[in-house]
Amino acid sequence: MGDAPAPERTTARAPFAPWDRRDLPGMFDVAETARRVGNYKWAEMKLFEALGGWIATVPELDVKMRLGTHCYHHAWHAELWHKRLPELREMKPERLTQPANEAMVRFMDAMTEPEAPELTIEKLVGAYRVLIPRFIAAYTYHRNNTSEITDAPTIRSLTFILQDEIDDWRDGEMMLQSLISTEHDVERAAAHQARLEAIMVEAGGIAGPGTIGPTTVMNGGSPTTDSTTEGDA
Amino acid sequence: MRQFFPVEDLARDERFVQTNMAERMADTRVPGGGSQTSSKKASSRSSTNRLTPDRHDASDRARGLMHGIMVGEIQALEGAGRTAHDFDAGDGSGDTIPFALKLDMARQAWDEARHVEISAKLSAWMGTEIGEFQENTVLFEAACSNDPVLRLAGVNRALEGLAIDVFTQMKEFGDLAGDPYLEFCEDWMLADEVTHVKMGSDWLRKVTENDPERRSRALEFQQVVDKLFSFGGARGDTAESSFQLARRFRELAGFTDDEVDTIAELDEQALAERKAAVRAMNAASAAN
Ligand SMILES: [Fe+2]
Ligand SMILES: [Fe+2]
Repeated sequence: MGDAPAPERTTARAPFAPWDRRDLPGMFDVAETARRVGNYKWAEMKLFEALGGWIATVPELDVKMRLGTHCYHHAWHAELWHKRLPELREMKPERLTQPANEAMVRFMDAMTEPEAPELTIEKLVGAYRVLIPRFIAAYTYHRNNTSEITDAPTIRSLTFILQDEIDDWRDGEMMLQSLISTEHDVERAAAHQARLEAIMVEAGGIAGPGTIGPTTVMNGGSPTTDSTTEGDA
Repeated sequence: MRQFFPVEDLARDERFVQTNMAERMADTRVPGGGSQTSSKKASSRSSTNRLTPDRHDASDRARGLMHGIMVGEIQALEGAGRTAHDFDAGDGSGDTIPFALKLDMARQAWDEARHVEISAKLSAWMGTEIGEFQENTVLFEAACSNDPVLRLAGVNRALEGLAIDVFTQMKEFGDLAGDPYLEFCEDWMLADEVTHVKMGSDWLRKVTENDPERRSRALEFQQVVDKLFSFGGARGDTAESSFQLARRFRELAGFTDDEVDTIAELDEQALAERKAAVRAMNAASAAN
């Protein structure tokens, strides 16, 4: 055994390790990525402003402190998107820091409307049962469909941000469950959620129609969204 | 939600009792409150007004102070949140603040939320219940200005400057009292407050770079708040002061020596005015 010649060693290896299954194709080009990122930044800003503003309006001490903590999380997300925009060829990030459409503006107006101290449930429902689940959906779709190689920086931010969104959603949902204690509370929460959800459906999600991709199959199997067929109707 | 939120509407649960500055000065349970700190009775037992563990009233004073810190942190949390909310991102002119300043305010909101958590735990540790002492809402008032630069001056520089002084004192108290828990927490809060004061110093200079009039208005407002929050000289460089000016930490936070000297002078003035007021009050009660 000791006499066998040692096999010749080479340092030549494939560019991708056998376990690295990342691939090039992605659903979004640079311009579409920038547009989406601009919508995300706008919505994250509106969310952190709302959470910050509500701190002084809620009497529940634990909720007050969670809002302060979450306010920063979403500000940090807005900052990450702000920094990503120039890397996507948008040198004036403010130009793309826009709502997806007019319905998104109406959604944010409706979500931030509750101010009175007895409306904590409505405030939390808007943020944690409607908006944040929409963030989770938009970011998950983006992460799962963008190019794993060309758009790695967006994926990295999405991964960090999604972790925050999911943690914050859980915090918010638990605060709501602890506050909703009567049938009347249940009705209040559901009514407010339905009102906001309807506007969000109109908006089509945080990045507008197609936020979470085509959802129905039409025309011999090619997928399309309801919103993209709207114009044809 | 309104763009600006008035102090009267601050949301609290039923345990909290709110008060204003005049009422606070009459509350003998808080440092700088009432005439006790300058009375013969108090000074005969202690050579200074500083909070040290050997004072006969050390426990009550420390508990009152910690409760005051906790409600101050709640208002600091609310104030930072409001500033993140109330002004649109822009170039800093008119009703706008730079995007990066909004982010800093959101960061401060998180820090203040932790400070509420820390001070609530410390209060419980010291045997104090929420609402046992009154809440002076004047801190949030300084965060209600429609000019964001005045908020930076009044809250970040004046009030959080005071927090630096108070936390330095509490850290020292923890050390002297052999309470490493208290000392540890105050050390961490102090690090955050230095950051917040520095934020205030840096942004105030930056936003008013080309507007000297706005800057001087802000600095004037800071002096008003500094004097008000001297608590009648309870904070200052003199031996009679309960809190010393934490000069080294203030320097780290962007204060110049001249600025700290000015605060020391304001503190001395406030002390002299309070003594005169107490003398007048005593004379009036002797006459009755
Ligand atoms: Fe603080
Ligand atoms: Fe602070």
